[in-house]
Amino acid sequence: MAEGPTVLPVLFKNFSQKAETALSTRIGQKLPASNPVREALNTYVQLAGIEIGYGYFAPNVPAGYRLLFELHYPDGGVEYELPSVSSAAAGLRIAGLLDSIGRTPYDALREILVKTLAQAIWREHPDLESVRAILESIRLPTAREFTEGKRQSYEFLYAYDFNLENAPAKTNHH
Amino acid sequence: MQSVKTGLFGFLFSPSTDTWLAILRIGLGLEVTLYSLSLRSDWISLLSGTARKAAEALLSLESHFVPRLGWFVASAAQVSVHEEAVLSMAWACLLGVGCGLLVGVASRFSAISAWLLHLCVAKSGGFVSYGMDNFLTIGLFYLMLSPLPDRYSLDWRLRKSQPKNPQLLGFWRRVLQLHLCIIYFFSGLTKCFGRGWWDGSNVWRSLIRPPFNAINPEILVTWKYLFPLAGILICLLEFGYPFFIWSTRTRKIWLLSVCAMHVVIAVAMGMYLFSLIMIVLNVAAFGPNLIRTEHARISFRPHEIIL
Repeated sequence: MAEGPTVLPVLFKNFSQKAETALSTRIGQKLPASNPVREALNTYVQLAGIEIGYGYFAPNVPAGYRLLFELHYPDGGVEYELPSVSSAAAGLRIAGLLDSIGRTPYDALREILVKTLAQAIWREHPDLESVRAILESIRLPTAREFTEGKRQSYEFLYAYDFNLENAPAKTNHH
Repeated sequence: MQSVKTGLFGFLFSPSTDTWLAILRIGLGLEVTLYSLSLRSDWISLLSGTARKAAEALLSLESHFVPRLGWFVASAAQVSVHEEAVLSMAWACLLGVGCGLLVGVASRFSAISAWLLHLCVAKSGGFVSYGMDNFLTIGLFYLMLSPLPDRYSLDWRLRKSQPKNPQLLGFWRRVLQLHLCIIYFFSGLTKCFGRGWWDGSNVWRSLIRPPFNAINPEILVTWKYLFPLAGILICLLEFGYPFFIWSTRTRKIWLLSVCAMHVVIAVAMGMYLFSLIMIVLNVAAFGPNLIRTEHARISFRPHEIIL
């Protein structure tokens, strides 16, 4: 509520931000990371599985992300591939990973996670010359737009180039 | 003040049979078994390499004491055992303890092992975890602490165990009930604040958003007039859960409606394991009373007639 758009007035957003700060202080999140009280609390909530909130798909359903791999072969050929897994259950987990990649504010972490998936692609296609990983956000049509013929579209976010050494050579984004 | 204390004690330690615990054990055993089997072919790729190390590094910023697969991998490396072998062993152990819970063999050991192993997997695979993992951790955490074994387990038959303290059984059931109320209340409350749940657009978005798009949008769009109703119903069911689940008059309809909602989520969004864990937690927490009430009504009727 403190971060996202809701039906509530702006005044409530300010209140939510203050409440969030107060609650964080109360449960030790404002203490230094090395503080034993904070570490003990963090350990307990992680062990009990209560470290996250319960606002699934709330207040609104967020946009998803797509990671498209552009595979470049030595003969100049180009192919496109999406991260693949063997089961639908694992597919749900890859979607979670893509959400983490799309939402993280840390460039270095995003790069590490994209590289992990790119390495898996490379293992499947060892004859590749380079791989470009393109991260896009998915724009979903409304039901009305869908009946008018509009389908889901993709908005470019970042691109990472990986060369033979598997090191990211260049990052583009806007 | 004394009456408040007595009332609170009576509420928290209300005696209970172990039927709820049997439902929780069998349900979580089934969940852990299906969870392991569903990830069998992707287990190594999801949990090995850089992504695991990055997740564990971030976990260390929170706490150094939360169990993780990295501990086992590092220990095994000392005796030249590969990461893949450790992960395969973890998978086999998780499947084994899942089956152990299902039939009730070494119930306490199975519950602790299932909680520990699943926690390691969920934390080390932090980037590939989702809500289902949290609910499974919650369920296994309570199961591990509850007075096992229950009378439907194989342990009970083999060891001829004594009945457990009904107040202690009641306490852990009450904790699970209260936790579910908090979960649904806040889930419903935060949904109520989103405009999209009132006009149905969030229902549409959740059903067409990859990878939850199990139903063809061409078919879905023909039901678009039902989405606002579905959105409002979801908000009402979740937000109203703590208010309507306690009363014996509304409990049955609320419990059935919530379970039906999770069945629809399973079918329409392909979230079978998520739905199963939610149904298991709900039925374990609030289901047994309904069944007992029915039994009581049937069995006491002849006595009333005689009297």
